[in-house]
Amino acid sequence: MAVRANPDLIDELQHFGAKDAIKCYQCGNCSAACSHSEDPYVFPRKSMRYLQMGLEKPLRSALDPWLCYYCGKCSEQCPRGAEPGETMMGVRRWLTSQYDFTGISRLLYRSWGSELAAIIVVALLTGAGFLSFGLLGGGGNLAVYDGPGAFLPPHAIHVFDWTMGALLGLLLSINCLRMWQFTMHGEHAVPVPFSLYVRHLLLLPLHFFTQKRFRHCEDKTPWTNHLILMFSYLTMLTLIMVFLKEMQSGPKVNWYAHSFGYLSAIGLVATSIFAIRGRLKKDAAYHRHSHESDWMFLGLLLFVSITGIIQHVLHRAGLPMAANITYIVHLMGVVPMLALEVPFSKWSHLAYRPLAIYFAQLQQAAQAQGIRPSGRLAKLNPVA
Amino acid sequence: MPEPRNQNRESAVNEPVVAAAPRIGVFLVQADEEPRAGVDVTALAQYAAQLPGVAVARTIAATPIANIEKLAAEIRKAGLNAIVVAGEHPGFYKPAFAHAMALAGMDGSAVRLASFAERSGPMSNACAQAIVAYAVRGVPYAPEAKAASNRSFNAATMVIGGGIAGIQAALEIAESGNKVYLVERSGTIGGRMAMFDKTFPTLDCAACILTPKMVAVGQNPNIELLVLSEVQEVSGSFGQFKVKVLKHATRVDATACVACGDCARFCPVTTASEFDMGIASRKGIFIPFPQAVPNTYMIDPEYCTWVLSEGKKCGACAKKCSKGAVHLDAKDEFVDLEVGNIIVATGYDTLDAHRVERYGYGTYPNVLTSLEFERLTNASGPTGGKITMKVKKLNKKTKAEEWVFEPDGPKPKAVAIVHCVGSRDRNYNAYCSRVCCMYSLKFAHLVREKLPEAKCYEYYIDMRAFGKGYEEFHERIREEGVSLVRGRTASVVDRDGQLYIHGEDTIAEHLITVPVDMVILSVGLQPSHGAGELARQLGIARDDDGWFRELNYNAEPNSTEREGIYVAGVCQGPKDIPDTVAQASAAAAHALRSIVRHKADVSARQTTPENAGVPARS
Repeated sequence: MAVRANPDLIDELQHFGAKDAIKCYQCGNCSAACSHSEDPYVFPRKSMRYLQMGLEKPLRSALDPWLCYYCGKCSEQCPRGAEPGETMMGVRRWLTSQYDFTGISRLLYRSWGSELAAIIVVALLTGAGFLSFGLLGGGGNLAVYDGPGAFLPPHAIHVFDWTMGALLGLLLSINCLRMWQFTMHGEHAVPVPFSLYVRHLLLLPLHFFTQKRFRHCEDKTPWTNHLILMFSYLTMLTLIMVFLKEMQSGPKVNWYAHSFGYLSAIGLVATSIFAIRGRLKKDAAYHRHSHESDWMFLGLLLFVSITGIIQHVLHRAGLPMAANITYIVHLMGVVPMLALEVPFSKWSHLAYRPLAIYFAQLQQAAQAQGIRPSGRLAKLNPVA
Repeated sequence: MPEPRNQNRESAVNEPVVAAAPRIGVFLVQADEEPRAGVDVTALAQYAAQLPGVAVARTIAATPIANIEKLAAEIRKAGLNAIVVAGEHPGFYKPAFAHAMALAGMDGSAVRLASFAERSGPMSNACAQAIVAYAVRGVPYAPEAKAASNRSFNAATMVIGGGIAGIQAALEIAESGNKVYLVERSGTIGGRMAMFDKTFPTLDCAACILTPKMVAVGQNPNIELLVLSEVQEVSGSFGQFKVKVLKHATRVDATACVACGDCARFCPVTTASEFDMGIASRKGIFIPFPQAVPNTYMIDPEYCTWVLSEGKKCGACAKKCSKGAVHLDAKDEFVDLEVGNIIVATGYDTLDAHRVERYGYGTYPNVLTSLEFERLTNASGPTGGKITMKVKKLNKKTKAEEWVFEPDGPKPKAVAIVHCVGSRDRNYNAYCSRVCCMYSLKFAHLVREKLPEAKCYEYYIDMRAFGKGYEEFHERIREEGVSLVRGRTASVVDRDGQLYIHGEDTIAEHLITVPVDMVILSVGLQPSHGAGELARQLGIARDDDGWFRELNYNAEPNSTEREGIYVAGVCQGPKDIPDTVAQASAAAAHALRSIVRHKADVSARQTTPENAGVPARS
């Protein structure tokens, strides 16, 4: 029984940003240069090979792409300009679209027009929805920002954001399940006993919060930025999802809540500007190539951060009407960003990466216990 | 009886070797069907009859000559001593005429052909007449022959570069009796090949092949060797180039120096030897290597105390030289050459291994380049050909610790050879340097041969064994127990004094880290430094990689866009020794073609009806 090859795979991946994989001549320099690559997860060369040969199934069941943090050392040393780092990035985008059962992810990644259209549609719906809710079901007065009679009262927003959170969480969970199915039941996968899942469970929060593997990269700047961005984002998310009332009470500044908000706002703006500047100047290997989805994500992030800040300033400056309008504009950025990015695009890697590290660890632990692979290929070739 | 003897001798001297009066028979083949328009054979016979020296001119039928005796009788009767057969394919009749000449008691080889078929393009009576006239005069017919011009042509040739390509080209031309100026930048000819220990795939001793040729260059009276010389200016055109050469002073009289080495013994200056790629040292007055041609000492003005102090200090060499050969105050001079052809054979440099930082060349003492290893393993190298590791030693003069090769130094237990260093890599040179795979295999063989206990690893991307016997050589080295790893080395690191080489074995799909004692970097080839400047002076083009551009990749790999300038060897593109030698001979053939044709033109111009004799055929 042969492995079925899909000769169109490499063309398909072009849409996801892996444009130069065809140039690779399999010298293995990238795998040896990478500080993350180690047996049995030797990458990126192997993924490049899968791409060139059109081995779709092995590529889909690979964990390697998620173990790469794209420091760009492989691309810098690549003798062919095959951009292994960007290829891994492209493969991650493709994997995201493969894990996604709705097909929306593939649509968004393959066509920047659809992504832009989706953002605009969701933004307009959001704007119209909140405006009509504010006028009809909320405070009804655009000139009231906080306190009783507020145009968009925090408790109502909470109902909305918790609902949305649950929905997006559900979508993402389903995608994570599919990832588990692909990778842990792939052709070379080892069946992992449940006890191991439990024993190594702490790996998930550990890698989620510290991203400590990223620190193995020679260049530590991306890790720092990434961490700042993630913590700013999580802080802001917590503030909005739990402490919205405190955040919007005013006009006095509540330092116990607002100091966190200010810090994370600075973090979000600084890191997104840093990334946009880097991508424009192409100052590092990991900034040399930008997929349309990268620009959309960074644009939305910066837009949301800045409108959030303006809204806060206007509120403190005693301009409730302007603050309310900015608030709606801000939401018109937040909702499409979360709705599209979390389950279907960039943000989903917050879940996939720790999961991949967890799964890889489970595989190795299971193998250490002497469990043999049970996949189709493994049965054919018991030694491998 | 002295007188008759004298008379005998005189008559012997005066006896003409070739019959003085030519009596030529011109036979024109009357074709059944006129293959080319415009050739009237009958008119041609009339034309031929009035050419100087022609006794008989007639047409013959285009049928095999049945009666050779009859032809011989005709030759005897007319007293013919040379024959010209003219026609579309006259070679067909040559054996018959040669036979007839022999039967007539004449020289059977005095049958010349005038072939119309060799002349491509439209044919005319005038053209046919020219072809016949040339044959009658015994001059090869040149299709481009123009009315005799008075343009002078210099038969001398300049060869730039004294490596194996330059040596081969110079010898080919000089041995044909023509003048060659061999201009070499360094102090000796021999070039890169002189540094090599062995050649691949035959594992012949490189010096045993090269040094006889070098000696032949030194001894050939037709070759004027200009070492320490660089081309400064080239003007003129094909046939009459004017070249200005800067000849740096060796400061040693080549005619007086006997290379005894006394000067070097007393020279207080020590520096790295260029010939040994810096792994051995030499004095301020030195000879590049013992078999150098010319075998003369020379002074390096960059290090010489006398030169640096402007004559105030030292001068030991001049004082100690028993032949008085050292002239410290000798000055550089310009030499003006006039040549008809120029052959460029400037060879290559290897990539500066410092540029590939991750291999640690220059940081780790036992990371060597390929040419350094050639010198190390060469019997004339610093260890006498023993493969040892560098040891730390105190330099008594500078009081600094240095890593040096010693004949009794420790032997490496594992050696790694890294292919494609700076080759096939768009960050350095995108092209394949073509020779590295094979010389790396050669190194592996030398390591295994000299250190049978040592492990040897070759890290390659693709094994390019394209030449005759190369694949067999590859198989042989594989069988000798060399570990061939398919994968490019990513890095060489030093952990606690032990070198580790790290790469992916792309066949096993595993990352491997191997402890080794010595790493040989198979650096790629790139155009010799100064190639760009020389191209500007010569007015020839270079390709994107810096190699001199040939006129046509397939059909004219030796010629350049400028007539009279040819390229040979690696300066045109990476190649191995056999290809270099072949190309050098081909370049010499190009130069000789123009020289021979020019000489023929001259003799044709000088041939008048009065002096037209039958030139002796050689």
